[in-house]
Amino acid sequence: MTSRPIGKDVPRVDGWAKATGSALYTDDLSLPGMLHGALLRSPVPHARIAHLDTRRAAALPGVKAVVVGSDLPAVRYGNWRLVPTTQDELALARDKVRFVGDEVAAVAAVDRDTAEEALALIRVEYEPLPAVFDLDAAMAAGAPVLHEATPDNVSVTRKIAFGDLEAGFGASDYVREDTFTVQAVSHAYLEPCATLAQADDLGRITLTTSTQTPYIVQCLLASTLGLRENEVRVVKPAVGGGFGGKMELRPWDVCAAFIARRTGKPVKFTLSREEELATGRRRHPMRLRSRVGFKRDGTLMAKDFQVLLEGGAYNSMGPTATFLVGNFGAMLYRYPAYRYAGAHVYTNHAPAGAMRGFGAPQALFATETQMNMAAEALGIDPIELRLKNAMRPGDEIPDVATVGTCGFSECLERVAEMSGWREKRSQGPGKGGGKGLGIGCYSFITGGVFNWFNTPYPFSAAEVRAYADGTVHLLTMASDIGQGSDTVLQQILAEELGIRMQDIHMTAGDTAMTPKGDLGTWGSRVTLMAGNAVLEAARQVKEELARMVSLRFDLNVVQEVELKDGMVRSKFRPDRGIPFAEAVAMAQKANRGKPVIGRGTYTPRDMGLVTPTFSFGAQVAEVDVDRETGVTRVTKVYTAHDCGTVLNPMAVDGQVHGCIQMGMGYALSEELVMRDGKTVNASFLDYKMPGALDMPECEAVCVETHDPRGPFGAKETGEGPISATAPAIADAVWHASGHRATALPITAEKLLAALDGDDSVAGERRAEASCAVPDPRPRG
Amino acid sequence: MSLCKFAYHGPDTLDEVLALLAAHGPAARVMAGGTDLVVKMSRGQVAPAVVIGLKRVPGLGDLHFDPVRGLELGCMTRVSAVLEHPAVAAHYPALAEAAQATATVQIRNMATIAGNLCNASPCADNAPTLVARGASVELRSPRGHRALPLAELFRGPGQTVLAPDELLVRITVPPPRAATGFAYLSLSQRSAVDVSAVGVAAGLTLADGRVAEARIVLGAVAPTPFVATAAADALRGRNPDDAAFRAAGAAAAEACAPIGDVRASAGYRRKMVAVLVRRALERATARALGEGTARAARQAEVTP
Amino acid sequence: MKQTIRLRVNGDAYEVAVPPWRTLNEVLREDLRLTGTKRGCGDGDCGACTVLLDGRSVTSCLMLAVEAVGHEVTTVEGLATARDALHPVQAEFIAAGAIQCGYCTPGMELSAAYLLSRNPAPTDDEIRRGLSGNLCRCTGYQKIFEAVRRAADRLKEAARPDAAAGDPATGGPAGGDPSGGGARP
Repeated sequence: MTSRPIGKDVPRVDGWAKATGSALYTDDLSLPGMLHGALLRSPVPHARIAHLDTRRAAALPGVKAVVVGSDLPAVRYGNWRLVPTTQDELALARDKVRFVGDEVAAVAAVDRDTAEEALALIRVEYEPLPAVFDLDAAMAAGAPVLHEATPDNVSVTRKIAFGDLEAGFGASDYVREDTFTVQAVSHAYLEPCATLAQADDLGRITLTTSTQTPYIVQCLLASTLGLRENEVRVVKPAVGGGFGGKMELRPWDVCAAFIARRTGKPVKFTLSREEELATGRRRHPMRLRSRVGFKRDGTLMAKDFQVLLEGGAYNSMGPTATFLVGNFGAMLYRYPAYRYAGAHVYTNHAPAGAMRGFGAPQALFATETQMNMAAEALGIDPIELRLKNAMRPGDEIPDVATVGTCGFSECLERVAEMSGWREKRSQGPGKGGGKGLGIGCYSFITGGVFNWFNTPYPFSAAEVRAYADGTVHLLTMASDIGQGSDTVLQQILAEELGIRMQDIHMTAGDTAMTPKGDLGTWGSRVTLMAGNAVLEAARQVKEELARMVSLRFDLNVVQEVELKDGMVRSKFRPDRGIPFAEAVAMAQKANRGKPVIGRGTYTPRDMGLVTPTFSFGAQVAEVDVDRETGVTRVTKVYTAHDCGTVLNPMAVDGQVHGCIQMGMGYALSEELVMRDGKTVNASFLDYKMPGALDMPECEAVCVETHDPRGPFGAKETGEGPISATAPAIADAVWHASGHRATALPITAEKLLAALDGDDSVAGERRAEASCAVPDPRPRG
Repeated sequence: MSLCKFAYHGPDTLDEVLALLAAHGPAARVMAGGTDLVVKMSRGQVAPAVVIGLKRVPGLGDLHFDPVRGLELGCMTRVSAVLEHPAVAAHYPALAEAAQATATVQIRNMATIAGNLCNASPCADNAPTLVARGASVELRSPRGHRALPLAELFRGPGQTVLAPDELLVRITVPPPRAATGFAYLSLSQRSAVDVSAVGVAAGLTLADGRVAEARIVLGAVAPTPFVATAAADALRGRNPDDAAFRAAGAAAAEACAPIGDVRASAGYRRKMVAVLVRRALERATARALGEGTARAARQAEVTP
Repeated sequence: MKQTIRLRVNGDAYEVAVPPWRTLNEVLREDLRLTGTKRGCGDGDCGACTVLLDGRSVTSCLMLAVEAVGHEVTTVEGLATARDALHPVQAEFIAAGAIQCGYCTPGMELSAAYLLSRNPAPTDDEIRRGLSGNLCRCTGYQKIFEAVRRAADRLKEAARPDAAAGDPATGGPAGGDPSGGGARP
């Protein structure tokens, strides 16, 4: 393997383990004497718990613990530790339940059958309360209140404003206002959540859990149980995807740890798919009203963006979402004046949380669809309209963020070229025999800089230990949940130290064994933040070894020494140098055995409120609409994206493709359908995420920039592209059929109804969904 | 969730199966492929005290084709066996289309056609084509055996005329007829994994360039497979053309009684019946018109 | 309620006492500790639990363990013959970048191995159909399609009469078994 892995298709470092089935995920683990946990969930959306009787469950042979809310410390938790009033969750309900699925009790028993049997023996009397299931009902005067501290059910509001809005609209030749609605969708990671807790003699906890944020889980679990932070060790094993859905402390973590402390036995909880879909986190449904003004020539003048987020029963990551929607609403284009107001509203639904692209898929479905509508009205090609207004390097959202590198215009040009846009789009809507193509664009953050978790530690950290046998140990809390960060971080280390990938051994995602801290995997932060930490640690090792070798060969340490091909040597006289291993030995001997260790950290400073740097991209989707059935097939998706310098092209492709799958589901088929607070389609049969037969051909090119803030110039790629897909498909559906969708998903049924001018169908479906349960599976 | 607790019997002979059924009555469930029963048991929708597995009984999974007697499927014939059998591809392409539309590769490797029928789900993909082809089923019990047209097997969603001690042992499909073609089309939001929101089997026999006889059977739009008799009969004597097929589609849509659920509204299902009936009749006509056309259509549509 | 059953998994015989309501998935994972077989939904929808039963792909979550008696079960642990002798499907999944979180991977690989055992030269459409019973949320499937194409090519290469013994470095099968290399059908 090359010693210069940056920019190459380096296979995953955990590829062998995953390909052979030997990679261990939480539910694969089992310990002697381990108890199996199960959760009792509320069957009603909003109720006071009048009476709870666990005696029969506790008496069942094999049951070792039955826990209810009053057993646990009454410490509320939530990710927004910076603002404690936003922390509104308890692991188990104390007085009332707020959504169907709210956790009420936990049982641990010698086996799963017994635990499930015990759940059935717990008696709960609920005193029903009126419930609210949509924004309007929740915000109406006199609406039922979910949390006493929030009598209007609006838990968070955020504003962003710059420029003279009235003047902007006043000077506009063309102003339009549209309202968009987007639905709840599931992360649908393939590995359901699981957690395994062990306690030691002092009651200290080791929690192995399917998480993307070990540090957050560590801190919140400790405070919830009244422990000090480091009396909890969180270990992240292999994680089967997260997409934002595994970045919080969850009730099963608390219950497992609590029961392990009480019984002294290891306890494991594993969720079912039904629990995941029916009660798990989801993407915020939103209603977005956007008013936008243009000059006749297409110059953007002003935008007024008002957004309501349906948060469900608890805040979760809602405060971040409420801000980010407004941030993304101001991205991509140069708005001389902009105003955003967002409100996060409680309802009696399962809470929404962070999800891939966080806030951007909603904001950009509205923004991009509206751009396409405006282009049509102004008679300007949508790509031309975008080019006219595209953000450029150095642009800013005043007091919020500054754009560093920006290849957006190049992305637009490239995607137009790749897709044959100008020729294919010359035909008007509905003229292509059911075929059409459309465009959507994105920008996304490369890590967040706002310290909502209020961590006193660095945002990322890494330690590099070089050994005299030529191997190197990399330790970092950064969490690979499938995106491939372990591989990229090792690439960065190998590149910087001039060693091979197989020379590196890695410990990651373990709060006791890796340097503090790391905020986890979210906001596309790992490559940039942990990557910079690794780079800094590697440079310390490099410097020490270079000094040794320069002394021995009398080289200029600053200009002349390189670490390459496993050697530490002169750049100009390669014979003047020694192997990496020897250099380490030399350094240790020279320092009385002191190990060669580099320590790096990364914490952003003076980078606004949002991110060190933004990615950009443009996407064109081609579709085929069956006019008679309303079925849309996506046939091809072209993406041109600026993710800075590409560190691993194969991994970048994989992220883009994954975003397209998720974005396409968002556009056409995915939706958690709710009825009276219950999720009607809580199975993969009826929650329709795209399969192998649905996927279009995907073609992607990188418009490379070199971002000075990213390691080797890199920016994010794992989340941004998802936001372009839904507006691109919606625009293509318009081009193919003439129908402009302002609500997602564009199901076959809704599209056909729209094309037939039939307004009743969507309403009819909703009404009927409330009175019919899906058929059983038609199998043999 | 864990499955409900039950006693399992895996008898070696059909007589033992029937004896167990007679002994346990409604407390027992027969497990063929198990792909539906296991899900129902894990979700607590059924909780049989006894499960009688058929996998060990030899011969139940056979599939025979005879140009005179037709096609015979045992009660353990897997969906994939139908899909892969050359005689089915050659003479019963619509059956292969329905098999292809059933769930996923893995489920087709486990699930049986008989199980798909006995579950009596309104959206079972294999029922409409078999009903349209005039299939009959043989039911056995310790009391004897009886044969009945498949259409008479179904009583409602999840309900059949099978007595608690009866087992569906064989499905017989009449031999192919000259100048006759059948087709099955289904529609769902997604391409695989899925259940069909609407399924349409259509067939016709041509004589002197006109429709001599037609059959239209709909799935997922009524409590049981819906035989659109009037819509099919109105085709008799007409040219097999667009106008005739549109009329048949409209008539079938009018006659059926779909419900709305999370998969589709009643109104959408009805509209889709009209579209799919017309398209299925077009494809059936192509098949009726000649082997060459039929083969091309088969190859285009069915990939095992 | 437990009964002792004999299972054959990856060529090995196991005797295990299980109640009849245990699925093959549960017994593989919990009793035999073959945790490479995953459980993604328990409904047979996602395919993460796919194993081969006498060479045919099935979802182990929908099969009772007692019904696997008398059959040969192949799990992902049985695909490779040695640490450095991966099944071509496994080797190409790694090389093509077809793996991200890895949770769908074992089931996906078994579906791919099953497809290639029946159709050594699948078209792109046949690959998609062959994998349509396995959901993936990470990769968008593109790299998985590519891996299967490459595995098919490699199996074809290995099946040529003049092909030399397999290359241990790349995990190609020694000899010419087009039906799925290390898989035991």
